[in-house]
Amino acid sequence: MRKLFFIAVLISIMVLPLLSSAQNQTISGKVTDEKAGNAVPNASVVINKTSQGTMTNAAGEFSLSAPANATIIISSTGFKSQTIKVADISGPLTIKLEQDVANLDEVVVTGLTTTVKRRNLANAVATISSKQLTGTAPAQTLDGALEGKIPGAYINANSGAPGGGITVKLRGVTSVYGNTQPLYVIDGVFIDNSSTSAGLNAVTSAASGGSPTSTQDNPSNRIADIDPQDIENIEILKGASAAAIYGSKAAAGVVIITTKRGHQGKTAITLTQDLGIITARKLLGVREFTADRAASLSGDSATSAALRQQFMDAEAAGHIYDYEKEIYGNTGFARNTELSLTGGGEKTSFYFSAGQKDEQGIVEGTGYRNNSIRLNVDHHISDNVKIGVTTNYINSSSDRGLFGNDNVGVTTGIALSSTPSFAELHPDAQGNYPNNQFAAANPLQTIALMKNNESVNRFIMGFSLDAVVQKSNASTTKLVGRGGFDFYNLQTTALFPGTLQWQAINKGTSIQGFTKNLATNYIASIINTYTPSDKLSLTSSAGFTGETGDYNNLLNVATQVIAGQSNVNQAGALTATQTRIKYLNSGVFVQEEANINDAVTLTAGVRFDRSSNNGDAGKFYTYPKAGVSWNLTKSGIVNEGFFDNIKLRAAYGEANNVPAYGSKFTGMVVSNIAGNPGVIVSTQEGQADIKPERQKELETGIDFSVLKSRLSFELTYYNKSISDFLMLQSLPASSGFASKWVNAGNLRNQGVELGANAIPVQTKKVTWNTSVNFWLNRSMVTKLTIPPVPQGSFGYVLGSFQIEQGKSATQIVGLNGQGVGVLGDAEPKFQMNTYNEITFFGKLSLRFLIHWKQGGDNVNLTSLENDFGGTSADYDAHTYDKDIPNGPYRIMQIGSSAKIFVQDASYLRLREAGLYYTFDNLHSNAIKGINVGVSFNNYITITKYKSYDPEVSNFGTGFSTGVDVDPYPASKQAAFHVSFNF
Amino acid sequence: MKKINYIQTIFFAGTILFISSCKKDYGSLNGPTVEAYQNNSTQAELNNLVSGTESGMRTSIAFYLDDVGTIGRELYHFSNSEPRYVTDLLGANDATLSNSNFYITTPWASRYRVIKNCNVLIDAANNTTLVTDAQKSGYIGFAQTIKAYQLLMNLNLTDSNGIRVAVADPNNLGPIVDYQMGLASISSLLDSGETDLTNAEIVFPLAGFSQFNDAAGLLKFNRALAARVDVYRQQWSDALTALNASFFNLNGDFYTGVNHVFGTGSGDQLNPAFIPQNQNGEVRVAHPSYAEDILANDDRIGKATLRTSTASIPAGLSSNRDVWVYTSSTAAVPIIRNEELILIYAEANIQLDNFSEAIKALNIIRTKHGLADYSGAQTKDALIDEMLYERRYSLYFEGHRWIDMRRYNKLNELPIDRPGDDVWTEFPLPVTEQ
Repeated sequence: MRKLFFIAVLISIMVLPLLSSAQNQTISGKVTDEKAGNAVPNASVVINKTSQGTMTNAAGEFSLSAPANATIIISSTGFKSQTIKVADISGPLTIKLEQDVANLDEVVVTGLTTTVKRRNLANAVATISSKQLTGTAPAQTLDGALEGKIPGAYINANSGAPGGGITVKLRGVTSVYGNTQPLYVIDGVFIDNSSTSAGLNAVTSAASGGSPTSTQDNPSNRIADIDPQDIENIEILKGASAAAIYGSKAAAGVVIITTKRGHQGKTAITLTQDLGIITARKLLGVREFTADRAASLSGDSATSAALRQQFMDAEAAGHIYDYEKEIYGNTGFARNTELSLTGGGEKTSFYFSAGQKDEQGIVEGTGYRNNSIRLNVDHHISDNVKIGVTTNYINSSSDRGLFGNDNVGVTTGIALSSTPSFAELHPDAQGNYPNNQFAAANPLQTIALMKNNESVNRFIMGFSLDAVVQKSNASTTKLVGRGGFDFYNLQTTALFPGTLQWQAINKGTSIQGFTKNLATNYIASIINTYTPSDKLSLTSSAGFTGETGDYNNLLNVATQVIAGQSNVNQAGALTATQTRIKYLNSGVFVQEEANINDAVTLTAGVRFDRSSNNGDAGKFYTYPKAGVSWNLTKSGIVNEGFFDNIKLRAAYGEANNVPAYGSKFTGMVVSNIAGNPGVIVSTQEGQADIKPERQKELETGIDFSVLKSRLSFELTYYNKSISDFLMLQSLPASSGFASKWVNAGNLRNQGVELGANAIPVQTKKVTWNTSVNFWLNRSMVTKLTIPPVPQGSFGYVLGSFQIEQGKSATQIVGLNGQGVGVLGDAEPKFQMNTYNEITFFGKLSLRFLIHWKQGGDNVNLTSLENDFGGTSADYDAHTYDKDIPNGPYRIMQIGSSAKIFVQDASYLRLREAGLYYTFDNLHSNAIKGINVGVSFNNYITITKYKSYDPEVSNFGTGFSTGVDVDPYPASKQAAFHVSFNF
Repeated sequence: MKKINYIQTIFFAGTILFISSCKKDYGSLNGPTVEAYQNNSTQAELNNLVSGTESGMRTSIAFYLDDVGTIGRELYHFSNSEPRYVTDLLGANDATLSNSNFYITTPWASRYRVIKNCNVLIDAANNTTLVTDAQKSGYIGFAQTIKAYQLLMNLNLTDSNGIRVAVADPNNLGPIVDYQMGLASISSLLDSGETDLTNAEIVFPLAGFSQFNDAAGLLKFNRALAARVDVYRQQWSDALTALNASFFNLNGDFYTGVNHVFGTGSGDQLNPAFIPQNQNGEVRVAHPSYAEDILANDDRIGKATLRTSTASIPAGLSSNRDVWVYTSSTAAVPIIRNEELILIYAEANIQLDNFSEAIKALNIIRTKHGLADYSGAQTKDALIDEMLYERRYSLYFEGHRWIDMRRYNKLNELPIDRPGDDVWTEFPLPVTEQ
């Protein structure tokens, strides 16, 4: 607190003398594109060297009050910007913007609080606009909306369960045990993206050891709470060379999200309504039973005869069912309503939005709801001082069902896998479900009676201060402060009543989790821009940052629950677990940027970081960064002609990944006996001097545009190495410990990213914008100081990840018939995407996104489970062997070869497609425009992968993705959209 | 420029303030740490370590009982999810004991975890001024005794493959020592525990020690274990000396002794060796030889009750009797009890050729279990067989049969159920120890 007070005093001292204002005049005008003459909406109109400005409306019009001696800059994504002196303006302006597919004038965040134009950027920073994010076919959650859109990223849905749960890995594997997910920053606030298990392991025993939670509980990640409709723009810093300045949480990259803001001008109101239907993307089909096949389900002659009879009775009565279709074949309805208001005056502007989303899942009783309210307010205290407040309240709720791996046969998929079509699972006239004689659970009963809900109340608030504290002809000094907090309460409720077939022993289980999480962060910096001449500009910045986290989870597992009750005290037995995590990271940074002739940009910075999670909490670790970009056309080395613009760039940076909380302690575990409280040493030995993982990234590339900026290319190569990566090492058990944390070795990722943007067609009638990206990554463990460590998954028998020196970090090893060998690799060979927008007459717009992932293997155990249960659709076919049917053949592979379970998960997917028409000139005072459209998510997927979807991860967002064990099946959505502008 | 200097000064002042102010280390929020016990622990903290130690001794005890009981052909453990009980442990076909499978790694690690806890307790007791010297001796004597017992449990599994005795420093472990050396180390640990307990004051609560929860009682427990180790070492007269200092009582209750106890309380454990009668799927059934070999009228047949239906597995094993030694989920598992001490008394006397004293002890066992007095030959070999019979039935599913047959080189007398099955003599050392 002492520090915050100090900062406040400091700011007021320097700001007060500046609270004065100059004489203003009002200017207005219309912005159109140069070629077709269509209006350019949402173009920004800003007074130079200030943060004051506005945006054009749907008709391309704006009005702004500006000082007579100022200049204004008009810019918009995809166009070159224009500068106009206010003194030269008389009457309404007409501004025609030139197209620029390379977006060279786009402003990109490079420091914590500094920006640079894309033309001078030393890194390949991916940008996703609001239109690309949600303008084609809106995804259910924010993380889903990123899929297929970021070159250099591996983004993978963990399952089809409503409410998200998505793995995002930027430029390969960043860590094995540490955090692999990027840092999300929304308007300067660091957003918590953790996932909290609902304690399902207490009923599924997916992981042995008796813990109520495991990595296989398939929770959603918290970034899913954010409403994508509020987002103006997303920038992705993919590695340390760009993200170093974010320090201790930035090793896996940074996703910088900017939400929409208000602008000077009339209040614009937009009301959007979406209606959609959700269906399963694919069903696997079920085995067609005959009397002989039914009989073959048991080797025991009496049981076999009984099964034959049961089948014949069921067939005679017409009671042969397709349970897969019955459970996964439902249609879910989705609706999404959004209202937004934006506007403002000379001093104050605002953006307000309220949204409600309600989407049903393809399985009865599952679905996702999200209510979000946002208010962003910006206020100019004077010409020199601006403050901003962003607030967002979110209430979300997801019902996720019971899916995935288990060891007791109760999850929907596992129970289904051993249930043949002639089993009778339907309830009788009184609503009583029969026991499933073929599995531990009757999945129809489980779905009807259980509940697995995550509900979140979340409040995110951000503050910003931009104050010009010194201004002269050559020098401007600004104080910039950013900070905020992210607080949520998460309640998980998993109820399994005693009437369930598989609750015979526990007689009803109620698992209730209560989580409170508060994360705060601040950045205080001072920035000086010194421009001694037109040819040189120096930007110096320095500052300090701090981040805190306080996570507190209380998980109660109650069994022998009184019928109809869910409160944990209404039970015969109760086990409680509490988990707390707390950290403080702090850092100091300085950065210097030099721009020479607008042609060469040099950047150098250094950051000193410490964290309470490190062995030595007081020690500062040093992370340098440096970058250079050299524009060959601007510097005159290549004449403008064939090349409109050509730039070489290189950047280097280091960042870290702090150890997990608690890895420096050797804990003691409670172990009571007969009412005597006892403690016993944990099986995990702490490492008192544990260090953070350090990532070093070198990135280099060339960007150029040709054909009058209608075609541009961006080519990037990177080499990202992680030293001292954290591993759990096995110890001799006689030490009393099973494992300990060690900084075990180094690994390396190398890759290329190639991007092209083009306007192949540009006429008065038709404009076609397209972008194509290609990227690939290769990793290698370059040093490992401990023996090879199998990782995640289910061992060599079924295929396992393994960290091994000299091998790919994501290799999958397993039995290969001769012994243990490499069977595959989770890393895709390459990925490609293409985003296209074709506009007809400026009114009808067709947009689509195609994503191709080539290679990358999964461990597919879903079809194996069906083989075990004798229910796979191709059980009786002869694909592999003319004598042995597929089912038995695949089962016989177990113990000698795992090749058949490690499968290529390539796919080509039409992720998003949308067709929109805009009605304007409505001759109505109330409604300015109407936009209608239809969209399709995941409607076409071409893959040879033999399960519900090639995108899957039984083990959540950690290191081992791509393990497929009866997940919630993936779905597709078709939707109708209408929006009104008032 | 003046203004810039002013701003810079304030800014750097702020930076210095920042660097000096917010260094934090939150410590461990989810439980105590080992380090916290190394400096002036209170009596309550030491007592927590004692209870954690006693509690940890029970962990994965069922794996030990299954290991010894299955290889000693006392029982079969049929499990749908775990075939290795009837493949690896019985040596079916080509199956062998693996050095990385649960049946050795889990019990081995659980015992060493308790030893680690005992070492933490000893360090904690030595580094506190908050308890008296006599109380300190009590903690240390208890810890030494338990360490010895835990080492013995592991040595029983690995036999000639040995154990690691010096494990106080996890980063600098001592060598693996052979069987005889291991037993000698265990014996001297027990002796050192005896010395500590002799002048000790016990201020900690114990759960399964019933009347042996004071210094005198712990001494008797220590000596009872010493007697067991002495017969393993074939030091017969030492065994008798130890018995005299223990709770050995020819006329006493067979079940007087020290137990692992179980409970339903929060953080407590249920008896993992308990499976209800007449279950399907997960069952523990008596080896058919148990009922075949038992003498008529022997009431110990009650430890293997008839099932309503025979339990069988496709691999060709079946039994119509459930193991019924631990009859509830909170039933105690004996650590050592008077019935074993009486049998140790008999064994030592047989070996020392005091046959009459041995027969007196054996007859006490026989009488109480409904059998007539021993009427067989009064030779050493015959009496050893008789003693092994009584140990087999008296200590059924308490973890003895396999070890007893091994001690007397009689493993080849254990029944083989299927062609290709093996009777293993020992477990390999866990892979992490090699």
